[in-house]
Amino acid sequence: MRTMNARILVVDDDTALAEMIGIVLRTEGFDPVFCADGSEAVEAFRSSNPDLVLLDLMLPGMDGIEVATRIREESGTPIIMLTAKSDTADVVKGLESGADDYVVKPFNPKELVARIRTRLRPSPHTSADVLHVGDLVLDVAGHEVRRGDGKINLTPLEFELLLALAIKPQQVFTREMLLEQVWGYHYKADTRLVNVHVQRLRAKVEHDPDNPRIVMTVRGVGYRAGTAS
Amino acid sequence: MRTFDWRGWLRRLVGLWRSSLQLRTVAITVLLSTFAVTIIGAYMAISVGNNLFDSRRDELLTQSAQASDTVQKLFNATAEQGAATNIENAARTAFTAVLQSSASTAGTQIAILRAPDQTGARVPNDVASPGLQPASLISTALEKRVTAAGASNDTPRVYWQSVAIRHDNVVDPGIVIGSSVTLPSSGRYQLYLIYNLSDAQQTLGSVQSTLLLGGLALIVLIGAVTWVVVRLVVGPVRVAADTAEKLAAGELERRVPERGDDELATLARSFNGMADSLQKQIVRLATLSQVQQRFVSDVSHELRTPLTTIRLAGDVLYDQRETFPPATARTAELLRTQVQRFEILLADLLEMSRYDAGAVDIDTEPTNLVRLVEDAVDSVSSLAETRGSELRVVAPGGYFEAEVEGRRIRRILQNLLGNAIDHGEGRPIDVYVDSNQSAVAIAVRDYGIGMTPAAMERVFDRFWRADPSRQRTTGGTGLGLAISLEDAALHGGWLEVWSAPGEGSCFRLTLPRERGTTLRSSPLELPPEEDRGDDDD
Repeated sequence: MRTMNARILVVDDDTALAEMIGIVLRTEGFDPVFCADGSEAVEAFRSSNPDLVLLDLMLPGMDGIEVATRIREESGTPIIMLTAKSDTADVVKGLESGADDYVVKPFNPKELVARIRTRLRPSPHTSADVLHVGDLVLDVAGHEVRRGDGKINLTPLEFELLLALAIKPQQVFTREMLLEQVWGYHYKADTRLVNVHVQRLRAKVEHDPDNPRIVMTVRGVGYRAGTAS
Repeated sequence: MRTFDWRGWLRRLVGLWRSSLQLRTVAITVLLSTFAVTIIGAYMAISVGNNLFDSRRDELLTQSAQASDTVQKLFNATAEQGAATNIENAARTAFTAVLQSSASTAGTQIAILRAPDQTGARVPNDVASPGLQPASLISTALEKRVTAAGASNDTPRVYWQSVAIRHDNVVDPGIVIGSSVTLPSSGRYQLYLIYNLSDAQQTLGSVQSTLLLGGLALIVLIGAVTWVVVRLVVGPVRVAADTAEKLAAGELERRVPERGDDELATLARSFNGMADSLQKQIVRLATLSQVQQRFVSDVSHELRTPLTTIRLAGDVLYDQRETFPPATARTAELLRTQVQRFEILLADLLEMSRYDAGAVDIDTEPTNLVRLVEDAVDSVSSLAETRGSELRVVAPGGYFEAEVEGRRIRRILQNLLGNAIDHGEGRPIDVYVDSNQSAVAIAVRDYGIGMTPAAMERVFDRFWRADPSRQRTTGGTGLGLAISLEDAALHGGWLEVWSAPGEGSCFRLTLPRERGTTLRSSPLELPPEEDRGDDDD
């Protein structure tokens, strides 16, 4: 990963804001690429091959939620939504369509950069190379999850979420703990981030998402990893 | 033991009388028509009875006169023959003749008596129908009149009198008709015919009962007709009243059915016209209000993008302020703080517009309120320190878990604490947490300047400030308490205030421990009983 000169695709139709974000990103040593139209966003994503996408939810051409869905279909590249609305429905829709995190306008440069850095940082190191959760095998170094011979495609965020649980299989994680470890929030944040991504992760790794065996719910507390089998 | 509660019945009846126009109208109509029908019926019964009696009497009088003639002729013939036996038997012969004549009908009793003023030999003897006791039926008044008529030789005249005929324990009406006859050589006799009028009485009885039945039927009919007519009038009025009630309850689509062109249809039409214009007004106002709320929401959203750019720009400048000349550096600082203030104001405005639009969802989970209070206290502790206020949490044990949305409750607490620090004059601030089985209460008590009752009334108003000249340090937007009040209401809770000038203020938040339950009382007093320390008194 190119942490120092990471390329960031900024999809926003407001040129002033895009330019300002560009200035902030350059100051922080990133390499911003711009796209002002939703319908061109997926093409711009393919051609620029960014390390992270900053995506405005309200876009001409194609709305941000649709763009996120299209990008997720072909890549697990981190997506951070820029949203003017913190209303439940909109944010949840964005997260469900595959966005990893969101920043509510108006945000400040530090907040934005912190969010970007969290998503670009390398996974936490662990002594073990291989971890087991239920009937899954996590190849930590290779960033791969396998069930038997089949490989399960997870986004970096989903992998990190599963990894966080798998490293300490005895521990019950509250949503706040996961927000801190996986999303890098050191203060109270939106627990819907955890809820939505646990759902997405379960849809990929569980045999029966309604009766989870990999990411177990501990009622009233949070989640823990299923026992290795 | 059940006693008849006539007072209760009376009360119910009076209530019904007052409440039902229909009942009242029907009752009055039936009462008045009963009165009228009774008078008319009584008059008719009496006049029919009189006519019946008069015609029967006249008929009987004619018959009696004929019978009297017959007897007189018989007597005259007997006298001419002059035979003693014939004279002795003259009364009996006359009796038989009368009995066989048309003057006698079944049940007619006959008596031929010697006039009381006659002297001399009593030949022939008196004759009477068997079982007839002349003395009991023939009054002396009648006898006198007949006797007087005989004396004045006014023989064809007949006299009558009504009597009651008793037989077999039955009393029948009857008429006694008397006339005077003369048996030459013997003197004057009196012929009495006693007719039983029970057949006429029967006719009268049947006429009267027919009248009575007819009268009753008429009254019932009038009652029924009134009921139907009143119903025709009252029905639509009642429908209009029901509709008005529904309209008042918010069912703006309700209308009264319009039928015909009469006065009731006019009422229905004007009622509906009123409802139409009412609905139009309400819908117009509702739309206006929606448009306005939408506008506020849209403005807030539209402002966010440029505000973000300004904020990013301000922060970039602020980060480089050390490289600027002092005036420019200060400008960058001011820009940054004011953009922040603007941002908070915008966020509050947006939140308020959400409440106004009724578009707020609540996402609750069991939360430990003491921990929440400690969090909130921590978040304002540095501010409290700069103002010299000590923050003290008083939390006796109990049930502290409640189903709340932590974010909103934390916002309320931060707001209350911020206000307490602002107006606390650097004195300590107590935060009480207590609970009972159904509710949890948090009270924030300061010992600062306090408020007048007038100020307390307005403290939850939007953009209202206790003292506009007062320095604002916590950068409140003026919407804080208004939002807090909405947040509390959203949880089904209360946010109340107590204050006294010079003694400080206390805001008490009471929340039901389970969602959807109704609060009855708060576990904390307002203000809470003070555990007064050394700083007071």
